[in-house]
Amino acid sequence: MTRASLVYALGAMRRRAGRNAAIVIGLAVVVLAFATVLFASEGLRSTTQRYAAEAPSLTVERLVAGRAALVDVADAARLEAIPGVRAVDPRVWGYFYLGALEANVTVVSATDVHELGVGTDVLGDDEAIFGASVARVLGVRAGDRIAVAATGVSDGVPVPRFLRVRGVLERESSLLAGDLVVVNAATARVLLGVPDASATDFAVDVFPPEESGVVSAAIVDAIPGARVVDRESLGRSFELTFDARAGMLAATLVPALLALLLLAWERLTGLSDEERREIGVLKAIGWSTSDVLRARLTEAGLVALVGATLGLVLAYVHAFVLGAPLLAPALFGWSNLRPEWALVPATDPAELFVLIAAIVVPFAGISVVPAWRAANVDPDRLLR
Amino acid sequence: VSVPSFARARLSALLGVTAVLVLALISTGIDARARSVTGRAQQAHAARIVRATGLSELALSTSSTWLRHPSLAAPSAAVSDAPLGLDVDPAGATIARPTRERAIEMEAVP
Repeated sequence: MTRASLVYALGAMRRRAGRNAAIVIGLAVVVLAFATVLFASEGLRSTTQRYAAEAPSLTVERLVAGRAALVDVADAARLEAIPGVRAVDPRVWGYFYLGALEANVTVVSATDVHELGVGTDVLGDDEAIFGASVARVLGVRAGDRIAVAATGVSDGVPVPRFLRVRGVLERESSLLAGDLVVVNAATARVLLGVPDASATDFAVDVFPPEESGVVSAAIVDAIPGARVVDRESLGRSFELTFDARAGMLAATLVPALLALLLLAWERLTGLSDEERREIGVLKAIGWSTSDVLRARLTEAGLVALVGATLGLVLAYVHAFVLGAPLLAPALFGWSNLRPEWALVPATDPAELFVLIAAIVVPFAGISVVPAWRAANVDPDRLLR
Repeated sequence: VSVPSFARARLSALLGVTAVLVLALISTGIDARARSVTGRAQQAHAARIVRATGLSELALSTSSTWLRHPSLAAPSAAVSDAPLGLDVDPAGATIARPTRERAIEMEAVP
């Protein structure tokens, strides 16, 4: 690029400041939308993978009429007998409707809670550790007691039950555990109405982990109707699903990109008399067609780069600093228990480069066409 | 070669805008790096909840029970082949299940 064409392009940008500012804003908005989707999907993907890595090797459920039903605790012995199975934990967990919240919370039993940092290893009866979202909406703190209507197994009549809040999980974990109410097994059974001989599912620890596939097949043989969720396949499903979900969301934004390109095409193809005269003067003083195109491409490229960079920075601020206020409502629906938006930046710079290129290149391309057509006309005709 | 004053002014303006954009990108990169380090530490800390409870799925949809733990809660749902597939309807929980119905279901389990 010669200095003359750069200086000319800068002058042209200034002369058409209004039009260029509109295009910069349009490009910035489109890049903001696409990049926010990219930031969110990559953040969710990496977060999910991080937590999935800690999930049990296998989760065994029982299907009845195609629905997940309670498992028999006695079946744990049959699972433990399978070679490769290191431990089997019959878990009691499920959903509990809290009328005060008009929302479901996830009640889950845990035998050892020393890692949860509430100052105890084991929870007593009617003691609970609350997720940050539940605690925030209910307005409870450690030491408080709240009444819940547990399901009476024997007579089916709701029984008031008082839970003592032993602790609250930290806010940063709310995307994972905001709606959790962690209790001991006995309390979980009372709240959820699960009989002593049953459990929600089995968490199976397999060693070595490579044996998961073989163990899964043995479990299905051992327990008719068993459904086995493998940690590895769960991770792969998340990969595919986030790709699909982000793809669908991005697809809904494509019309916005096309509209912008159409607008730019319409604006840029209709060269004004002033622009035609400019090109005529440039040709008359000795500029070649390629010089004119270079100046035009420089002008379009600078406008596109400024718009795209602005959009990228705004998308980052929107997604990670402001908590994606434009995207979160669509993602979280109208849940009463909304987790904190605490995504970790995990986007590959190469993906951002491709995104920018996919928007900037066609924009710069369509801006050159009208200049090329004008630059091929006799300067004498352009100046008349 | 002397540069005309108007050209100098334009090139200076370009330099200024470029500097601002590059600075913004560098700041974004630095902030992303810091957030990434802090976020990963927080995730490692939160991962102990998964170890304690065995539940690893994100609380993105808390209003519909079949979407809260989509890989486990509703295997017969339309999204069962792709856990966390597109949300069908995120409002399932606005109506509570009758407790009587739940008790009958419990009694039916052998």
